[in-house]
Amino acid sequence: MKAYIAFTKKEFCENLRTYKLFIMLCVFLLLGLMNPITAKITPQLLKSLMPEGMNITIMEPTALDSWAQFFKNVPQMGLSVLVIVFSGIMANEFSRGTLINMLTKGLSRKVVILSKFTMTTIIWTLSYALCFAATYAYTIYFWSSEGVSNILLSVFSLWLFGILLLAIILLGGVLFKNNYGVLLFTGGFVVALMLLNLSSTIQKYNPITLASSNMALLTNNMFVSDFTMPIVICVITIIASIGSAIMIFNKKQI
Amino acid sequence: MEELIEYLPFLIPIVIIEMALAITALVHVLRHPNYRVGNKLMWILIVLFIQIVGPVVYFVFGRGEE
Amino acid sequence: MDILSVEHLSKNFGANKIIEDLTFSVQEHSIFGFIGQNGAGKTTTMKMVLGLLKPTSGNITVCGEHVTYGETKTNKYIGYLPDIPEFYGYMKPYEYLKLCGEITGLSSEKIKSKSEELLTLVDLDKANKKIGGFSRGMKQRLGIAQALLNEPKLLICDEPTSALDPIGRKEILDILYQVKGKTTVVFSTHILSDVERICDHIALLHGGKIALSGTLSDVKSKHKQDGLLIEFASQTDTRAFLDAPQLVPYITNVEQNNTRLILHTQDVQKLEVAVIAIISERHLLPIKFEVLEPTLESLFMEVVK
Repeated sequence: MKAYIAFTKKEFCENLRTYKLFIMLCVFLLLGLMNPITAKITPQLLKSLMPEGMNITIMEPTALDSWAQFFKNVPQMGLSVLVIVFSGIMANEFSRGTLINMLTKGLSRKVVILSKFTMTTIIWTLSYALCFAATYAYTIYFWSSEGVSNILLSVFSLWLFGILLLAIILLGGVLFKNNYGVLLFTGGFVVALMLLNLSSTIQKYNPITLASSNMALLTNNMFVSDFTMPIVICVITIIASIGSAIMIFNKKQI
Repeated sequence: MEELIEYLPFLIPIVIIEMALAITALVHVLRHPNYRVGNKLMWILIVLFIQIVGPVVYFVFGRGEE
Repeated sequence: MDILSVEHLSKNFGANKIIEDLTFSVQEHSIFGFIGQNGAGKTTTMKMVLGLLKPTSGNITVCGEHVTYGETKTNKYIGYLPDIPEFYGYMKPYEYLKLCGEITGLSSEKIKSKSEELLTLVDLDKANKKIGGFSRGMKQRLGIAQALLNEPKLLICDEPTSALDPIGRKEILDILYQVKGKTTVVFSTHILSDVERICDHIALLHGGKIALSGTLSDVKSKHKQDGLLIEFASQTDTRAFLDAPQLVPYITNVEQNNTRLILHTQDVQKLEVAVIAIISERHLLPIKFEVLEPTLESLFMEVVK
């Protein structure tokens, strides 16, 4: 336990001093601010760009437009940044041999994986919370929250999907020696989930729902029950990924 | 355009954060002239002119050993 | 008591046999020089001792406890300095030692006092900057400090001096010599002068096996060299000396380089008597006359040949 706390502290120090924490917080806060502003400004921009005399009715933006931006930007931009920032989390330790000292000091390999998972989860949660808080504050300031249902479940689902990606990054990290391998592995994983979504039977269980169908949940086109199975599968996949990452890492010669 | 000016108070924080990212990255580029790939000029341009993504890419891929 | 014992250890990488039936042991409070050419398998052996590599067969015990691959139980007795120690570049020396201490489970007071003591020993107590800016020698010294943090019974150093300049090397050797009383040191190297400077026991690894081992003086005396060196001022003197028939019964081989001769023999003392008789009888005055001491280098060359 003492070693776990010590190594988690080291992870925090690393993320702080290598600017990873800073980048994550900045990017997610930025996204959080941009979502409602983009929703608010886009129609007016369109109007001002429209040639004189042309008459198209542009709908007044609503809170839903703001959340639509949130659930478009965070999965695309935000999760990409998350994966890129943490892609080297294992590779940097391997390529520079910094873990050898730690392991020969009696640090167990399980603790390495669990500490890294803990710290990345904390950073992701903080960044995501910041992003959500910014979008939420501006959205209730600009609009009434009418017609928005299940916001908490929607937001939770996307958060859980982020954690799934972190688990996959760690699994990729012990499988490949460089961060490009990890990027491909994680990208491949997401693409595979998207392809699986083409089959309607698998669709019901597919964790990608947690990052792609949030708007359907907000607008009551999908229901809480539709999210139950994906959430269960997602949690199972997270545990399995971390478990196998530990097992593979234990067998790995470094 | 008047409506845009109306939203200026909301746009300012965005600009500030973008600037913060770019400037932090720029200072790092100038103070640590060892990069994993690329050279100083390239990173200055990337960090200053590619919003958000530029600094991120620099810190993740460009930043050399201290 | 044996701190480390290795029995019938073998390691293959695919069809490549790196270590074959290796057996040796290291006694408490010795400085054990583990010598071998590049690629002889020194690092491989050490990594197996640390449980970082899985032996193909054989048995390793550290302080009486069996080493199992992937587990790190026995590592609590060991301090390890890798050939090129790598640290987290964004940390300062004190922070790094604190991390190491917390991982080993030392109390925070102990970490504090030990860090100060060790950083003073390796002369880094004033270097309060990020490790990323350290020179190679400084990193190597910090490596020794972190290896000694948990007061290990066995300190394993993998080529601690190979990458350093002469000053850096001297600093490391001095530090190793200083810790001799507190711990047992095993260090691998291919620099023979380092071994002669500080080691008391040696083992020479060649072709995956121990080719020579024992205390440094034992090894040297067992391989008593068979040579006399004699040098004359002129070619005529040299020729006159070599003409002497009394030499023939003792000499097995002569190496000649201008006026310098190296005479090889079975019995150095008898040859010495004969040589002195010849030079006094013929009034030949050598400018140099010496019994060749076996050097580690000549032993090394002999084994490697």
